[in-house]
Amino acid sequence: MKKLYLLILFIISQNIYSQVPEPVGEQDRPIILYNAQVHIGNGTIIENGYICFDSGKITHVGDFNNTILRNFENHIQFDLNNKLVYPGLILPISKVGLEDISAIRATRDHTEIGDINSNIRTLTSYNTDSDMISTFRFNGILLSQVTPDGDLITGNSSIMMMEGWNWEDAAYKVDNGIHFKWPRKTYPPSRRSGSTEFRSNTNYKSTVDKIHKFLIDSRSYFDRRDNIEEINLKLEAMLGVFSDEKKVYIHANSREQIIESVQTFKRHGINNLVIVGADDAYYAIDFIKENNLPILLNNIHRTPSRNQEDVDLPYKLPYLLYKEGILVGLTASGSLHSQRNLPFLAGTSVAYGVPKEEALKMITYNTARILGIDNLTGSLEVGKDANIIVSKGDILDMRTSQIVHAFITGREINLNGKQQILYDRFNRKYSN
Amino acid sequence: MLKKYFILLLVLVIPFLSYSQEGFPVNGVNDIRENHYAFINANIIIDYKTKLENGILVIKNGVITSVGKNVSIPEGIRVFDLQGNYVYPSFIDLYTDYGIIDDESRNISSNWISSYNSPQMLSNKSGPFAWNESIRPEYNSVDYIKIDNKISNKLRSEGFGLVVSHNMDGIMRGTGSLVSLGDDVEQKIIIKDKVSNHFSFMKGSTRQRYPSSLMGAVALLKQSFFDANWYSTNSGKINETNLSLSAINKNNNLPKIIEVRDKLKVLLAQKIEKEIGIKFIIKGQGDEYQRIKEIKEGNSNLIVPINYPKPYNVDDPFKNKDILLSQLKHWELAPSNPFFLEKNNIDFSITTNGLKNLSDFRDNLIKSHERGASKAILLKALTYNPSKFIKMENKLGALNESFIANFFIADGDIFSEKTKIISNWVQGKWHRVNDTNIIDFSGEYLLSFNGENKKFNDVLLTVYGDKDKPRAKIGSVELTDSLESTNKILIDDENINLSFNLKKDNGVNSPGEYKLSGFFSNGRFIGKGTLNNLEWFEWTGVKKSVNKIKIDKTLKVSRSKKENIGDVIYPFVEYGSKNLKSQERMLIKGAKIWTLEGEGIIEKGDVLIDKGKIIEVGEEISVNGNDTRIVDGSGMHLTPGIIDEHSHIALSGVNEGSQSNTAEVRMKDVINSEDVNIYRQLAGGVTTSQLLHGSANAIGGQSAIVKFRWGSSPEEMIISDADEYIKFALGENVKRSRATSSTRFPDTRMGVEQVFVDAFNKAKIYESKWKYYNSLSKKEKINAVMPRKDIELDALKDILNGQMHITCHSYVQSEINMLMKVAEKFDFKVNTFTHILEGYKVADIMANHGAGGASFADWWAFKNEVKEAIPYNAALMTQAGVVTAINSDNREMARRLNQEAGKTIKYGNLSEIEAVKLVTLNPAKLLNLDHRMGSIKVGKDADLVLWNGHPLSIYSKPLKTIVDGKIYYDLEEDKKLRNEIKKERARIISKMKNSDVRSGSRRKPVKTAHFELTCEDEYDYQSTSEN
Repeated sequence: MKKLYLLILFIISQNIYSQVPEPVGEQDRPIILYNAQVHIGNGTIIENGYICFDSGKITHVGDFNNTILRNFENHIQFDLNNKLVYPGLILPISKVGLEDISAIRATRDHTEIGDINSNIRTLTSYNTDSDMISTFRFNGILLSQVTPDGDLITGNSSIMMMEGWNWEDAAYKVDNGIHFKWPRKTYPPSRRSGSTEFRSNTNYKSTVDKIHKFLIDSRSYFDRRDNIEEINLKLEAMLGVFSDEKKVYIHANSREQIIESVQTFKRHGINNLVIVGADDAYYAIDFIKENNLPILLNNIHRTPSRNQEDVDLPYKLPYLLYKEGILVGLTASGSLHSQRNLPFLAGTSVAYGVPKEEALKMITYNTARILGIDNLTGSLEVGKDANIIVSKGDILDMRTSQIVHAFITGREINLNGKQQILYDRFNRKYSN
Repeated sequence: MLKKYFILLLVLVIPFLSYSQEGFPVNGVNDIRENHYAFINANIIIDYKTKLENGILVIKNGVITSVGKNVSIPEGIRVFDLQGNYVYPSFIDLYTDYGIIDDESRNISSNWISSYNSPQMLSNKSGPFAWNESIRPEYNSVDYIKIDNKISNKLRSEGFGLVVSHNMDGIMRGTGSLVSLGDDVEQKIIIKDKVSNHFSFMKGSTRQRYPSSLMGAVALLKQSFFDANWYSTNSGKINETNLSLSAINKNNNLPKIIEVRDKLKVLLAQKIEKEIGIKFIIKGQGDEYQRIKEIKEGNSNLIVPINYPKPYNVDDPFKNKDILLSQLKHWELAPSNPFFLEKNNIDFSITTNGLKNLSDFRDNLIKSHERGASKAILLKALTYNPSKFIKMENKLGALNESFIANFFIADGDIFSEKTKIISNWVQGKWHRVNDTNIIDFSGEYLLSFNGENKKFNDVLLTVYGDKDKPRAKIGSVELTDSLESTNKILIDDENINLSFNLKKDNGVNSPGEYKLSGFFSNGRFIGKGTLNNLEWFEWTGVKKSVNKIKIDKTLKVSRSKKENIGDVIYPFVEYGSKNLKSQERMLIKGAKIWTLEGEGIIEKGDVLIDKGKIIEVGEEISVNGNDTRIVDGSGMHLTPGIIDEHSHIALSGVNEGSQSNTAEVRMKDVINSEDVNIYRQLAGGVTTSQLLHGSANAIGGQSAIVKFRWGSSPEEMIISDADEYIKFALGENVKRSRATSSTRFPDTRMGVEQVFVDAFNKAKIYESKWKYYNSLSKKEKINAVMPRKDIELDALKDILNGQMHITCHSYVQSEINMLMKVAEKFDFKVNTFTHILEGYKVADIMANHGAGGASFADWWAFKNEVKEAIPYNAALMTQAGVVTAINSDNREMARRLNQEAGKTIKYGNLSEIEAVKLVTLNPAKLLNLDHRMGSIKVGKDADLVLWNGHPLSIYSKPLKTIVDGKIYYDLEEDKKLRNEIKKERARIISKMKNSDVRSGSRRKPVKTAHFELTCEDEYDYQSTSEN
């Protein structure tokens, strides 16, 4: 342990000169974490547990009471003194790495020109040197689905690690899905119009037709894929959808949008669908269940959309969906900087009905399933990647969350970043 | 018989009437008439409270010469026997823009980006007028009036004879004219050229940037009156010509009518008139019943519309969710508005303004009566009151001798649906409204056809329904006047037109397309027609039976007199309630008490509150008697109510960002007590908030510090004895960094400093000028120039004197330090830096200066100036001795401020008590309210939150939120409220479904945007958008 602190101190001193923490090398020795409350992420807790991982993969997880430490002599051993171990958190639908300061256009790399951008991919724009990343890791977020923004078909997301020298290093799952922003049937009134009534979108039908046509054409492109003479990048990008390698993420919020979008894709034989947003999911539970749709839910720290709604409707929405057996993952949509609060969104869902371990699933295991990476991560099970965080207390509550270690594929990463460096500097100033 | 002659006579005469005016050349021969007539056997409504049966009315030259029972009728004049018909004084509408043709009309700028980048700062109007285009008191409507026969005809049909007309554009709109609805020349119809003076809080069509907010409009209105006073006081002493100011003074004696947008602005107008020292007649929007008690207290004359909302189409249960409860309830309650006004003895007049369809007027008037408003009061509101409001009650509004001969004749009581207005007499001149000679054709007729080749057998034609909108049936074929139908009947005067299809050969008549045209003569129809547009034939329709046939399928659903009507709730939105909360004597027992005082946390303690105050805090308090409510707090935590130092909810405007210095604007003018976010934040434990001006300019506006007394009026929400605060701002918002370019000073942080220095310099000079002037004797003052009262400089002067405190939006260390240095130069203290994300870098300097900081817990990176913001800020500032708070600036986050405070444990390791103080005692200190709130201490306000768990934990929520000893939020009550909302919505929706739409169509349910106002919003007056 002492060695570890020395190591951390060393890293901190290094960081006084470079604000982005330096990436660390591959896991070269097996590690055991023991005397820990292990939250597997699939709903179970091992009270006095341990976990071992080697070469980036989890090798053992179990009850430490029946385990002899001597068997793990070749391991680096961490006595966690009853700290809590969790799977690394997964942040879906984020612009992390694509934006630094939202108000400055030059730092924004998430929205491309045009409305059919199926060929656009976030992977190669992911900036591992973004100052955002260390603030996310600090709260236990180790993976993110880096997602493009835009108008209609916005492009491909990739799952990225919060660690790496470059995007190639950091890539976790490349091009895991294509994002469709379903057109809105109504728009909020312009703030200068003097009206408070929503306006109807007169282009709704023609925009939907555009998607229809795109799906027809990409389907036929897929069917002719072995005889294509001229490559069409936009249609080419859809091949993975028809071969079931890519999911389709439908960004839709109202009941009408959810119903109309899903029916459209199903009519074209595309069934691997995820609903993103779903502000009004409460009003569409019947349809969501009927179609067995997984949901990546919009930030639940929001006010109700309608005055008469229960004041806590957004807070309890995860519970209302969970109780119907719907697969829910939480997003932290909204300002990028505030997405580090992802674990506290799960905390809120606990306060409003979701059992704690189920809420944890909504930011780990469920999300991994929805993103199609549950074979790799999302829970602390043997064979999966060692994406692990260690906290002094419950990570879903800001009062107790104190993350002290984090491992990405077995590598212990440096949790401190620019903000901690500035804190140390001024803490010293005012301590004198 | 007489009646028929009369009508014939007029039909003949009308086309020959010519217009004449003294001194005007006549094209032809002179035709001047006295219009000398007598009306007998009339039910004369002399005024709203006097009815004369069997009366006589004599008019001559447009004036009533005599009225009464025993009036001698001059010989030889035409006498009309009204046979019991009613004569009403015609209605007067004080709020129209009848006939105004405005050459100067300007369009609202469509290119807002350019108006943002290079705003129009000054007036583009030529001439010595006000600096602001929305101040146009010099405008006289009379100069722009042109007869509009289409509108006047419609108004006459509803019983109106006179209107006041003005140009509805601007904050000071100039004078209105009293115009009759005759069809004579302008010289004749204008009864009085300047009869009223018009105002509003809406800037209108001008493109000038100021004012961009409601509070800016209020300030400008006030300042203009003060300027006018300065102008007249110094008349002859200063070298200044300002026609706008002189017009304000000149027209000062005219009745002042102000238009406002809703009931809260009625209250605002009542507040402002006191400050200016004038009295307004307030034109509202018909929702006055929602705040009737407060409006009554303001003692104003009102002008109200009766534009009752149409029902929604409520057939889709999912679309219905987008209809607000307030919209549902207003649909139900709006027709009761006149009744509420009458019950509260508020003098009001009724306007047609706001009616989409003028022909709804009568219907709505009758509806108002059905809802309880008396006939007398409604008549008064249409006759006597409007004339009295414009000081013309000796000429108008009644049928007295020497009054203007403006009246209408109806065939019955105007409050009966069946009654028709027959004619409307304007200035003694006849105008037809409805034909009296409509023949009732109801009955059954046998039609026979006599064609060239064929003969047809008798067909039965049945005519039924209203005599002026007859419907008909041919055999089994229904004839209607609806457009969809191919079968039609048209009866126009004495012509009849029928068309119908016979589909099958019924063995008697040929199938085909029949078109018949004919006329009524000698008790039968007779005429010609075609079959299939080819064969001509003759036809007759002979009445079969004398008895009227009633096949009235279309009879309107008779309105039940015992309509079930919901309660008015306060506020008039969801989660409002009909009963206001009351103070309780309450003992909270056995809770973990976070006193935030010397005794720290009492693990198991009791708190006794009474009359809104904490009267005892201890480990075991016992009370006698049953008058104390005992609240079991075991297992719970009790903290002081949360205080949000920085909030923008419950406002109808945030930024007056049009100028760099708008110290004159006040958020207290724009408090929106009807914002459901108040309730939502109570559910998060917030009890007190500083409602701040935004950060669009260096010197913003004055704050409103309110308690969340849900249901109270804006004025009652204000903490009346709180200190005055004003918002300042620094950095990117002030220099408009989001605009691609800006022409408004300042554009750099360097300029921002100069704005402050300049403003305080001006304030100092201003103060000394007034000091000097006030030191003069009365005699000396006569010759001295009185300084101009400037409400902007008044505020700045108060800052210099420590009577108003600054809360300054700030981010980076340089600017924070700068403002403190400016303040020190002028010898005052900056009270609070808000946001202050780099406060940690200058916390020691702040502590020395004595400034506090109110920060976000963990926001950063949303713009360049916050790239070095760190979540340790609050902890570091606390460490350096700065009084530090965590604030929201966000309507959602305010509901979780306790959790935001909890983050300082994670970031900076603050103690839990210090963390709780960040959202309670510390903001109370920053607002100088810590003597009465912020901790649990005997004598302090009973503003408390009972939590179901640790107050800093994400898992906790308030069970009860108490303000002034009243429980405004209660988790259990909340469940009941939710249920009540559902039930009330269901009740009204089903009533709506079964209601008839008398005219027009149903409204489609449309979602209403509830805009969040944040610091940065600039375009927020007319409305705003999401962050």
